[in-house]
Amino acid sequence: MSKSLDKRLKAEFLFRIIGLGLFVYLFFGFMLLPCLNTLTSIFTTKNAAGETDPLAVIRFFFAGNMGKYVWNSLKLALCLVVTVNIVGVSIVLLTEYFDIKGAKILRLGYMTTLIYSGVALVTGYLFLYAPDGILTTALANAFPGFNENWFTGFNAVLFTMTFACTSNHALFLRNAIRGIDYNTVEAARNMGAKPFKVLWKVVFPTLIPTMFSLTVMTFITGLCAMSAPTLLGYDSINPEIVRLAGSSTADEAFPQARAALLSIILAMFTIILLTVLSAYERKGHYLSVSKTKTKLEKQKITNPVANVLAHIYAYVLFVIYMIPVVMIIIFSFQTYSAIRMKKLDLSSWTLVNFFGQEDYMYLTSRGQYKVREGSISGLFANDATMGGIKMSFMLSIVAAALACIIVVVACNYIFKHKGKKSGVILEYALLFPWLLPTILICYSYRTYFNSESIWYVGNYNLYYAQNVRLLIIMAYTVVKLPFSLRMIRASFYAIDEELEDAARNLGAGGFTTFMRVKLPIILPSVLAVFALNFNALFTEYDMSATFASSYGTSYAMVIQAMCAEEGLYGYNVNASGRRCASTVFIMLVSGLILYLVYGVGARDLGERLEHRAKWRRRFERITALGKKKKETA
Amino acid sequence: MIRLNDIVVKFGDFTALHGISVHVKEGEFFTFLGPSGCGKTTTLRTLTGFIEPVEGSVFVKDKDITHVPIEDRNIGIVFQSYALFPTMTVYDNIAFGLKVKKLKKPEIDKRVREIAKKVDLSDEQLMKAVSQLSGGQQQRVAIARALVTGPAIICMDEPLSNLDAKLRVQLRNELKKMQKEFGITTIYVTHDQEEALTLSDRIAVFNKGVIEQVGTPNQVYNHSETEFVCNFIGDINRLGPEIVDGLINIGADIDPKKHNYMRLERIHVNVPPRPGELVLDGVVDSLEYYGLYIKYYITAGGQTLKVIEKNDGVNIYSPQQQVKVLINPAHVMAYEPKGEEAEEI
Repeated sequence: MSKSLDKRLKAEFLFRIIGLGLFVYLFFGFMLLPCLNTLTSIFTTKNAAGETDPLAVIRFFFAGNMGKYVWNSLKLALCLVVTVNIVGVSIVLLTEYFDIKGAKILRLGYMTTLIYSGVALVTGYLFLYAPDGILTTALANAFPGFNENWFTGFNAVLFTMTFACTSNHALFLRNAIRGIDYNTVEAARNMGAKPFKVLWKVVFPTLIPTMFSLTVMTFITGLCAMSAPTLLGYDSINPEIVRLAGSSTADEAFPQARAALLSIILAMFTIILLTVLSAYERKGHYLSVSKTKTKLEKQKITNPVANVLAHIYAYVLFVIYMIPVVMIIIFSFQTYSAIRMKKLDLSSWTLVNFFGQEDYMYLTSRGQYKVREGSISGLFANDATMGGIKMSFMLSIVAAALACIIVVVACNYIFKHKGKKSGVILEYALLFPWLLPTILICYSYRTYFNSESIWYVGNYNLYYAQNVRLLIIMAYTVVKLPFSLRMIRASFYAIDEELEDAARNLGAGGFTTFMRVKLPIILPSVLAVFALNFNALFTEYDMSATFASSYGTSYAMVIQAMCAEEGLYGYNVNASGRRCASTVFIMLVSGLILYLVYGVGARDLGERLEHRAKWRRRFERITALGKKKKETA
Repeated sequence: MIRLNDIVVKFGDFTALHGISVHVKEGEFFTFLGPSGCGKTTTLRTLTGFIEPVEGSVFVKDKDITHVPIEDRNIGIVFQSYALFPTMTVYDNIAFGLKVKKLKKPEIDKRVREIAKKVDLSDEQLMKAVSQLSGGQQQRVAIARALVTGPAIICMDEPLSNLDAKLRVQLRNELKKMQKEFGITTIYVTHDQEEALTLSDRIAVFNKGVIEQVGTPNQVYNHSETEFVCNFIGDINRLGPEIVDGLINIGADIDPKKHNYMRLERIHVNVPPRPGELVLDGVVDSLEYYGLYIKYYITAGGQTLKVIEKNDGVNIYSPQQQVKVLINPAHVMAYEPKGEEAEEI
């Protein structure tokens, strides 16, 4: 055996040992042990007499009002499944299947939830629809009998989440419908089926697998809803867990154990649903047998009445999607007084919500004017807001990258060891966090690592002071592993095995083959996953709220705080305006990232070269024109 | 040049190769031919090092390379899918092997451009993405990439199977031309017997993990050593007992206990008999029109015989026409029955 080979084998062995060690550390240290600790905490509850009473919490559950939270979450999840599917399927059919005028614009509107989600979206809706919100006020003025309190509690949560949760439909169902072989539609028409029958009997059945997955995901989203119920005031499981996590035994009976119990209940629901989903997925999908697929052609709605109604429906949905976005953009340029009056003031526009500071003069209760210096401040001039943005940016970028790196390395191993036990174990271990609601993971971290006796983290208290940032990064990473794995694994399937053989045949070792051949192929998908992870984490609320640490105040928490503190004692006067401005900023950042990843990053080499050549030609034409002008001059 | 000695390859319980032994000479165009699953690709992958045999040894230029890693074998491959790296330009694809070997940039550039010229790739094409090239151009890139590192041997695993019929024929000719020009020892894997016959200096016919025959195209086609080879290569008539008896009755020296075969083009219709030819009466059943030739199904001597006639406008027959069928028993290929296996064929 040659020396270089010997060296290579040694390096590979070392790499494998380090990889295994890190993986075991990650799985046991940051997935299994903290969550097991939560589970056991239920059964070590102490009763009033100070004795351990394993069933105390469970008795409490049936005696108290804890069931209400579970029922409320279930109700929300069930209703969401219906409403999200109706809206989600409609938006996809309207933009991809039926011939609706202005479909491109409509699609952009429907896809705004990709860049505008989480707390930003909820506070945006609140800004418009709350009893004193802009639209509710306008509607109440126009229709005197209008119920100003329509946007509260369950209705508000359902309305908001219905539109917020269609992003997945817009992405995945759209792909599914685009994958339909148009010949099958033509064949059905040729055999005499009416358009509706074709839709029902030919198109829908091919969408069922995707719809099923989306339904399960929507149900879980509803069950684990956090930001909407918290901000809109609805008693569901997650807000209650967060409240209990921050409570102490002095205030109420065993809050920690109750929080743990609720987490476990949530986990049980999730496990059942995901088991059903994976059992269904294992049964296999309807695979298209077509070798020569033809592109789907948009279907004209021949009935004129139906056509008009479909157009009206499409544009009403468009308006619902677009109003918050447009309003947020407009109001980000409005003065605090216009925002406070909830009235658009077309005569005065300002950039103060973005840049700079202004003083605020106000009349005290003693009838004196007082000036609060710098109380009106722009997003980029306000330390708290910028602090939140910076914090979220750093935490999410590190975690999103970490999740991608772990998954890429793992997938490489899984694909190299296809059919072997070690590969399967690795895959399931990385999917493990999916079984646990995000809140359970964060809650477990918070309680488990809030101690100086965890040896494998060097006996540091990870919940203490700035250490919490590390904990948040770990939570972000772990929570994003299953999603990243599913997406990136799919891209590994696209690598032709012969490519690897070819690279090795040309003399490349395992590492070179991975870096120069495989990684460039999967890179667009990895970047897409990175961007989706980053966008989701950047505006996430659930996790940082569970950690509730002033050292880990994320952007979403700053936004939430801005809602609460607005204008108190002349402070934070333009909080709403700044909130709008920061939402605009986030939309820009998210939009740019999505464009770079999907628009630029998804181009293959041929397209990139063509693009480059096009720009070169343009440049040459311009320089030639310049030369000509010079010559004529 | 290449010597495979008693190679045995197993995948779990399944034995893919049962003691393959082949000797390929320097500069030869050598083809592994056989139906899918016969072991030809497995043999190729054993030679290139992707598969390690359980038994046997691989020698190249009298050096045992059985356990030498893939990357150190100096054997180029052109894959079935070409396996061109989609994220690299044509230039980078060809340069990949040289970069891995850490050659200096000017040297890489020189060698890439040299080989590109030889396989007829322009400078402009070198800067394109592989997806921007046609199937034929992609094949040339794959060949250039395999040759640029200066391998002693080049292996091609069904490199024409992804192409349409016309391009296949065109590229087949180009391939042969290039091989002659480079003079490199070439191992070619295919299931297409026409491809094998037109390209090869010698052919090894594989079946169920063993080599049935090694020989020149003429030997393999006209003197098939086994019943499998004669069936697999080209179309053939199996002569049933009735026609064999009939031929024996009119003086043919054929062993009725054996399995007897006759190539289509060795049977003639309505021509004056040449020495050794026996004449049977026949009726045209049906015909298949191929343009260049016509295949007739003629009932003669109690069975249907397939016969090929050049479409020269002279020997054109219509169904139900009475014809004279001429057979020379010296052209009969006969095989000892091998039990069930032979019956299957």
